[in-house]
Amino acid sequence: MADLVLQNLTIKYGAVTAVDNLNIHVASGEFLTLLGPSGCGKSTSLFAVAGLNHATSGTIRVGERVLFDGNPSNTVPPERRNIGLVFQSYALWPHKTVAENLAFPLTLRKIGRAERDERIKEALGLVEMLPYADRYPFELSGGQQQRVALARALVYRPPLLLLDEPLSNLDAKLRERARVWLRELQERLNVTTIYVTHDQAEALAVSDRIAVMSMGRMRQLGTPREIYERPADSFVADFIGSSNFFDGTMLENGTDKARIRLADGSEIVTPPGAAARDGSVVVAIRPEKIELSSSAGQNTMRVSIDQRTYLGSVWQYAVRSGSIEFRIQTPVELKEDSVLVHIPQEHCAVFPDKPGAN
Amino acid sequence: MTDISHPGAAGRGIDRSQAIYWGVAALTTILVFGPITPIIFQAFLDKPLYDDSAVVTIGNFTRLFSEPGMAGVFFNTLYFGALTMIVAQVFGAVMAVLVGRTNLPGRKWLGEIFIWPLFVSNLVIAFGWFTMYGPSGFITLAAKTYLGGAPWNLYTVTGMGIVAGLSQAPLTYLMCLAAVTKADPLLEDAARSTGAGPFRALFSVTIPMIRPAIIYSAVLNFVVGIEMLAIPLLFGGPSGIQTVTTFLYNAGINAAVRPEYGIVGAAAVILLLVVAFLVWLQGFLMKGAGRFVTVRGKASRPSTLDLGAWRWPAFLFVFAFAFLTIISIFGGIFMRSAVSFLTPLIPFWKVLTTANFEHVLGSANYVRSIVNSVLVATIGAAIGTFFILVIALVARRSDFRHNRALEYIALFPRSLPGIIAGLGFFYAVIWLPGADVIRGTILVLILAFMIRYIPVGFGAIAPALAQVGEELDRGARISGADWWTTVTRIIVPILKPALFSCYALLFIHFFKEYVTAAFLYQPGSEIIGTTMLQLVAQGDNGPVSALATIQVVITAAFVILARRVMGAKIYG
Ligand SMILES: Nc1ncnc2c1ncn2[C@@H]1O[C@H](COP(=O)(O)OP(=O)(O)OP(=O)(O)O)[C@@H](O)[C@H]1O
Ligand SMILES: [Mg+2]
Repeated sequence: MADLVLQNLTIKYGAVTAVDNLNIHVASGEFLTLLGPSGCGKSTSLFAVAGLNHATSGTIRVGERVLFDGNPSNTVPPERRNIGLVFQSYALWPHKTVAENLAFPLTLRKIGRAERDERIKEALGLVEMLPYADRYPFELSGGQQQRVALARALVYRPPLLLLDEPLSNLDAKLRERARVWLRELQERLNVTTIYVTHDQAEALAVSDRIAVMSMGRMRQLGTPREIYERPADSFVADFIGSSNFFDGTMLENGTDKARIRLADGSEIVTPPGAAARDGSVVVAIRPEKIELSSSAGQNTMRVSIDQRTYLGSVWQYAVRSGSIEFRIQTPVELKEDSVLVHIPQEHCAVFPDKPGAN
Repeated sequence: MTDISHPGAAGRGIDRSQAIYWGVAALTTILVFGPITPIIFQAFLDKPLYDDSAVVTIGNFTRLFSEPGMAGVFFNTLYFGALTMIVAQVFGAVMAVLVGRTNLPGRKWLGEIFIWPLFVSNLVIAFGWFTMYGPSGFITLAAKTYLGGAPWNLYTVTGMGIVAGLSQAPLTYLMCLAAVTKADPLLEDAARSTGAGPFRALFSVTIPMIRPAIIYSAVLNFVVGIEMLAIPLLFGGPSGIQTVTTFLYNAGINAAVRPEYGIVGAAAVILLLVVAFLVWLQGFLMKGAGRFVTVRGKASRPSTLDLGAWRWPAFLFVFAFAFLTIISIFGGIFMRSAVSFLTPLIPFWKVLTTANFEHVLGSANYVRSIVNSVLVATIGAAIGTFFILVIALVARRSDFRHNRALEYIALFPRSLPGIIAGLGFFYAVIWLPGADVIRGTILVLILAFMIRYIPVGFGAIAPALAQVGEELDRGARISGADWWTTVTRIIVPILKPALFSCYALLFIHFFKEYVTAAFLYQPGSEIIGTTMLQLVAQGDNGPVSALATIQVVITAAFVILARRVMGAKIYG
């Protein structure tokens, strides 16, 4: 059993800080996802764990074993870390068959022929690719290559599995099936896993916990539910799912609720939150959390409907109240020009600034 | 499925790769700078290098410059180099555009002919020109007899420069052709759709795009010109015209009789500096050239410019060039080898003979030089390919701290003229303790040639290496392979086609090399090139052409074999 600890991990390329002071403790058997927009340092962090790039400072440990601590003589080279890694491009060796791809890491570990064949069979069986053992990678579809890549990373039974956007080259339908299957396999093998993706739906669906990153820094670390329902800042609120942001001014900030005046002059009640120095705040609320209402009251406003979009499972309406424009989602088809909507206090979040400003 | 009992691959990893990195770096540095160092020492010593009482002086340089006629030698060299460059660039670039971008009749086979000269040495080509256009050459005599005069004279610096330029045109052609055919035709189409005529589009869009190739090959041909030995030796010798290379060659060869060490060293250092500067200049000019390059990875759809009524005049022009400067040169060598006396005045069949070949094949020395050439090329190219492969892997695919420096050193021989490499090795073998054992063996030739052509081989391997995604190495490393296992088990098998091309290129270069060997061979280690040099000096033209023919035939056989069987890419 192995847990992975990253302490103050910092990776710089010249003047660019790709990863800035990352602290994560991945428990044994946990499935942790690094999620963030392109260029935020996900792959860089992952490759630092694998030893394929040079971290600048900090510590990387698997169990009690130090892989990196800033001292070059203690740095363990990648080939001795015993970690499984699946690349976005799969990186199957084109001159070797599927079986030979899997045999390579076993041969390096001096595992005898009989056991080697046994393990190859077992790993290919796990990913349901046994009938393809003698094919070359170019004779496989993208999804099949992806599964072989996974089998290759698992065949030597590493305690830690790293996955760098392994599903991003698959089409949408296949991707959804593959992620379910991947999660089941991980649970069965109970292998500690770090999964990198920029697809938030995927992250929410498969992870035990998610670390949301932006510009090299970790913004929030929590279960999918925490991340979705209690985003730590407006960046997370915006990046995970989508949110409406209302500009406002903090009128009263209590222990269990706050009162905020919005730009159109109306007031709403929200959970408490931090305001900027001048008292300005933004209120985040997800479009699907806004409810239709039949009677006026607290947190309720009349909006006119500007635009209707049919999204299949729901309707999305672009609405406005005075100068405030936002979106709501509901399964109900609305024919009228204006409706009453209720903004549930418990689904609001209050932040001092807008996404992108922090 | 979590056993951490496997600590990955065996524990030798990092030490083994570090040993290889440093070993390769040290070997490359010694081999590249080994031959240069003694030359530089010699240039500043008043006595031979191995004389312990020698003291440091700059007297060699002052003596060199006060030597009568030395200014003339330097002027000849620069003028000859410049003329070589201009003639080669004009003809090479025009041929590349006509063959690569127009509907010229016969462009396919004409294009094939244009690269023939690249496979053989300047010595063979120079001899061919001598046979056809020399004072009593076949075409000269024919022109005098049937046209009433032959207005050319190869025995002047201008004549030599034009010959050298025409024989270097294929190099320009090759480089420009790559640029012309890879340039994105969409850009030309875009120019045409904005209202430019086809010729206008060609000149305003395509020509600027091949500008980097022209600049690059211009400097290259200038360098080839100033370090060329064969043409100045064959044509300048009789009329007493000297360039720096022929000066070095004569002084170096005669060093045993007239002790000229110091002056030779000084002249070599000056030549080395000039060439190093030019190579630097080439890099400098290419830096800004990037913005002109719109090269697509794949050769794009062939778009050809319709020459219209100019098709046939253009064909005549291109064919005349191919016939007069390539076909007739090779033809002349073959014909000369089969006759006792080559002249247009006596019918060919009346002078047919096998005596030239009998002469060559009947002499143990000559046969040995053929065998040695084949051995040097076959074995040397294999050793060279392996060595260059390891250099490329360490320079491009390792975490060696000094990988950039290694690449820089490995490519330095671009600035090392063959005559200086030869001279330097000659000194080094005498000078370095223990090196004497390889003196006068073909091993020293292999080493010298290998150093000289590292950049050629590197150029064949590096682009292919860049095509192999780094994730393949990373995947192997994380699976438990150390660096050396990764490159040998994963990268090298994928690189196989490039290695064949590298081998083929090295074979051809080693097989045709003669300048570098001029100072290094001894009885027993002679090669075709050095034997031809000797025979040319004696005026034994029959055997020379027989040897040249044998060299061309072996080369042709190898090229066909390499392309068919190994699938090697040699010049396109
Ligand atoms: N070798 C390098 N040299 C310099 N900068 C680098 C290098 N590798 C990564 N970076 C920079 O570090 C930052 C993080 O890169 P990284 O590849 O980790 O992003 P990512 O989160 O994986 O993005 P994506 O989702 O696009 O894969 C980027 O700004 C990138 O430009
Ligand atoms: Mg990435």
